[in-house]
Amino acid sequence: MWKRSVGGRVLHFYLAGINNQNFLMRDRETGTWWQQISGKAIFGKLQGESLELAAFDELSFALWKKESPGGQVLAAVARDQKKYESKWEDEVLKLPVPVSFPGTALKSRDVVVGLEMGADARAYPVDTIVKQSPIQDRLGGNPILVVTGPDGKSVRAFISRVNGNDIELFRKSDSKEFALIDSEGMGEWNFKGCAVSGPASGKCLQELPAIKDYWFDWRNYHPETTVYRH
Amino acid sequence: MFDASQKSFHLMFWAMVVVGIALFFVPAFIIRPFRYQSPGALHLALVFRQLAPVGTILAACGVVGLTVWAWKAASRLRKILMVGAAVLVVGSATMARMNYFEWMFHPVQQPGFEKADDAKLDAGEMVLTVSINGDARAYPVREMAYHHIVNDVVGGVPIAATY
Repeated sequence: MWKRSVGGRVLHFYLAGINNQNFLMRDRETGTWWQQISGKAIFGKLQGESLELAAFDELSFALWKKESPGGQVLAAVARDQKKYESKWEDEVLKLPVPVSFPGTALKSRDVVVGLEMGADARAYPVDTIVKQSPIQDRLGGNPILVVTGPDGKSVRAFISRVNGNDIELFRKSDSKEFALIDSEGMGEWNFKGCAVSGPASGKCLQELPAIKDYWFDWRNYHPETTVYRH
Repeated sequence: MFDASQKSFHLMFWAMVVVGIALFFVPAFIIRPFRYQSPGALHLALVFRQLAPVGTILAACGVVGLTVWAWKAASRLRKILMVGAAVLVVGSATMARMNYFEWMFHPVQQPGFEKADDAKLDAGEMVLTVSINGDARAYPVREMAYHHIVNDVVGGVPIAATY
């Protein structure tokens, strides 16, 4: 998800190619070629420029609807509606992999959540996240929280630090509703990473871009990545 | 003045044929969906793509022009070869102007939106979500996996939702 202004100029993007199962896009204004995965201009007038990331989440519809009353949903394009695949993930699994990394910890089509902190990158297998949530980890010198939501499948990642103090978060066990509590008794936290009670009430943890990706693709663009395991 | 049997004519004619065809087919061959593309190969493909719109037209005009010019003196076999080559180069020039990736995945021309309450999505269906300046949007992954790009403005900020 990218902001599409570069140097004060608004660009309009269109699909222009497929590169190692990511797509290439061009903008109508300058014809520059951009890599969707990195937001970088790789060829043409704006080569060397980068798009600014727009913070986004990948959530289940019900969870998003509850969090964002009054939100709007992209409507289906009538002409193409029949081509939307409800089982598209199964279809993708059948496709060949353009580049693979034998000998690494995961299989090419394993789905991971990728995090980047400065020069450090780490892949968190989604299966592991779902089983172990919340995961408390350290990456690039920062305390990292990777957590699934009340639906058990939406994933968010945060820097678990409040007022300059590193905290650890746990699932509140005596509650039916989703809630996290922390090691310092700062309060109770929701899936948005915001404290809803206690001394930290009203404060929110900094959310990190959590990219859901296939292992081969994440590894291809992050050769230095490590894999979370515990 | 040189006639149709001369070496320089053939050289010029077939050089234009090769250039006219290569400018479309080389990048089309490199930018294939399921084949690994190294950064070097991708760069070469994009250089060809850059030159293709003008290059293929020049080649097509040259090839068609020379075919007409040499027509009377040419043998039957030569006429067939020249016409065949001209058809390929004109085809290449036409394809160099097409975005066949948008034939596979139709673009969203004008994104339409509906209220969350009106949307007929399953509770567990995944959506890409963004919230800017109090404006919240959800892009169903099922739709995005087909269209891949939606140019939108959310909370006054122009964004490209991509998947």
